[in-house]
Amino acid sequence: MVVLTGGSEVVALEVRLLDSRVLREVKELVRPHSPQHCYQCAKCTSACTATKVIPDYKPHLIVALTRLGLIKNLLDSGIIWACTECWKCSEYCPQDVAPVEVVIALKNLSIAMGYKPPEDLKMMAKNVVELGYISPPIEVLSKEFEMYGRNALALPELVKPYTHEGTINNLKKLLGGVYE
Amino acid sequence: MSKFLLFLGCTIPTKQYSYEISVRNVLPKLGVELVDFAEAGCCGFPLKGLNRRAWVYMSARILSIASKKGLPILALCNGCDTSLRKIKDILKHDEALRKEIADLLSNEGIKLDVSAEVYHTLEILHDFVGVEKIKSMVRRSLKGIRIASYPGCHMIRPSDIPHPEDPAEPRKYDAVLNALGAEVGYYPDRGGCCGATMLPYSARHALLIAASKIKTFKEYGFDAVSTSCPYCMEMIDGKQDAARTEVGDESISIPVFYLTQLVGLAIGLEPKELGLNLNISPVEEVLEKLGVSLYE
Ligand code: SF4
Ligand code: SF4
Repeated sequence: MVVLTGGSEVVALEVRLLDSRVLREVKELVRPHSPQHCYQCAKCTSACTATKVIPDYKPHLIVALTRLGLIKNLLDSGIIWACTECWKCSEYCPQDVAPVEVVIALKNLSIAMGYKPPEDLKMMAKNVVELGYISPPIEVLSKEFEMYGRNALALPELVKPYTHEGTINNLKKLLGGVYE
Repeated sequence: MSKFLLFLGCTIPTKQYSYEISVRNVLPKLGVELVDFAEAGCCGFPLKGLNRRAWVYMSARILSIASKKGLPILALCNGCDTSLRKIKDILKHDEALRKEIADLLSNEGIKLDVSAEVYHTLEILHDFVGVEKIKSMVRRSLKGIRIASYPGCHMIRPSDIPHPEDPAEPRKYDAVLNALGAEVGYYPDRGGCCGATMLPYSARHALLIAASKIKTFKEYGFDAVSTSCPYCMEMIDGKQDAARTEVGDESISIPVFYLTQLVGLAIGLEPKELGLNLNISPVEEVLEKLGVSLYE
């Protein structure tokens, strides 16, 4: 797996990261689950939706590397975004580690460190702040090859769900950095 | 109690219109009153990887508005449903986060109160309306049609919070299909994931997940599939053609229906009242068996 190929330079950098505020953040985010209890049985990986189509993605390895603080290549490669957040790993884990929570924490951490998420997710964040939904309403093609929007389907017009400045400021504060 | 706030989420009111159409036309016929919930918006679930706090805030906001209105929420989307339930649990156990979210909400004059009850479409059909009442209203039985129920993963996971189905014994979905006269059956990995969340990372790999699900439905001899999650629908119905092309397997073709579309068909509604002309998969195969034409 790509994440194990880092040279000593990378490792040195990551060991420094280990004590940093951001890594404490990962531990904070995965509470009440405890990555320290992982005994590398790899049951999570045997159940994982993403592993089945992207064999390089292995939740048990991600947990192990995160415990060691060796996360740089996980973030650089962007492979954490392959997780479908299906929560299967959590169900299969005998140790209540919840690898999915570790992955979500790593995703959050990567954004906080200035890494870019997949382009579509960036758009979703922007749309949520500006429109209230992850995408604007689109027109869809029917089986009779006609285009239908909400209006043509006699569905009520979709209004922006919030107009209060406070809501928009909150969302900008939380998500603005993702797309600006 | 049979009055609910109709919480549409993001995907349904912006592209999965057939779910909204069928819910708006079917549920009132079963005695369920729907109240529009226009101030809700996105639950934040798709954004938790970007910022977990944003997710918690967005769901807490929706719950708080509903609590103030004093009405239970009907969540159509599995993601929305799980999101609201999970946020209740997260906030119960994290005082610091609760304080932070309460502060954010106070900026817009909302008091944090996540007590609003949350129900999913499946619970409305199974628990509130009930299979006996549904059975008594069937005018067009789905007899002889073998349907794979594919409720979607967040119907049962994460299992540490209450869900519409009992994660250990998810029987409600099949019970509703049986009430319509349809046959149900076993297939492996019924609680499996459709892959939708992988789309932004790699559409090609996400399609492989959808293709393998559809192949399983075919291998186990089903005539059709039913889901009650807009993301599953998007993958299994909307991207069925793309999945077939991706893996180059012509056998990947099966009609896919929302549960509310099937209930509507069985109680005698017409295809257009259920948005069936918007399904991408070959739903005509099943309609023909029922003697119903899509184009009249
Ligand atoms: S299933 Fe749990 S204990 Fe086993 S490797 Fe995965 S995270 Fe570790
Ligand atoms: S949540 Fe992510 S890591 Fe866990 S099983 Fe699903 S895809 Fe794999």
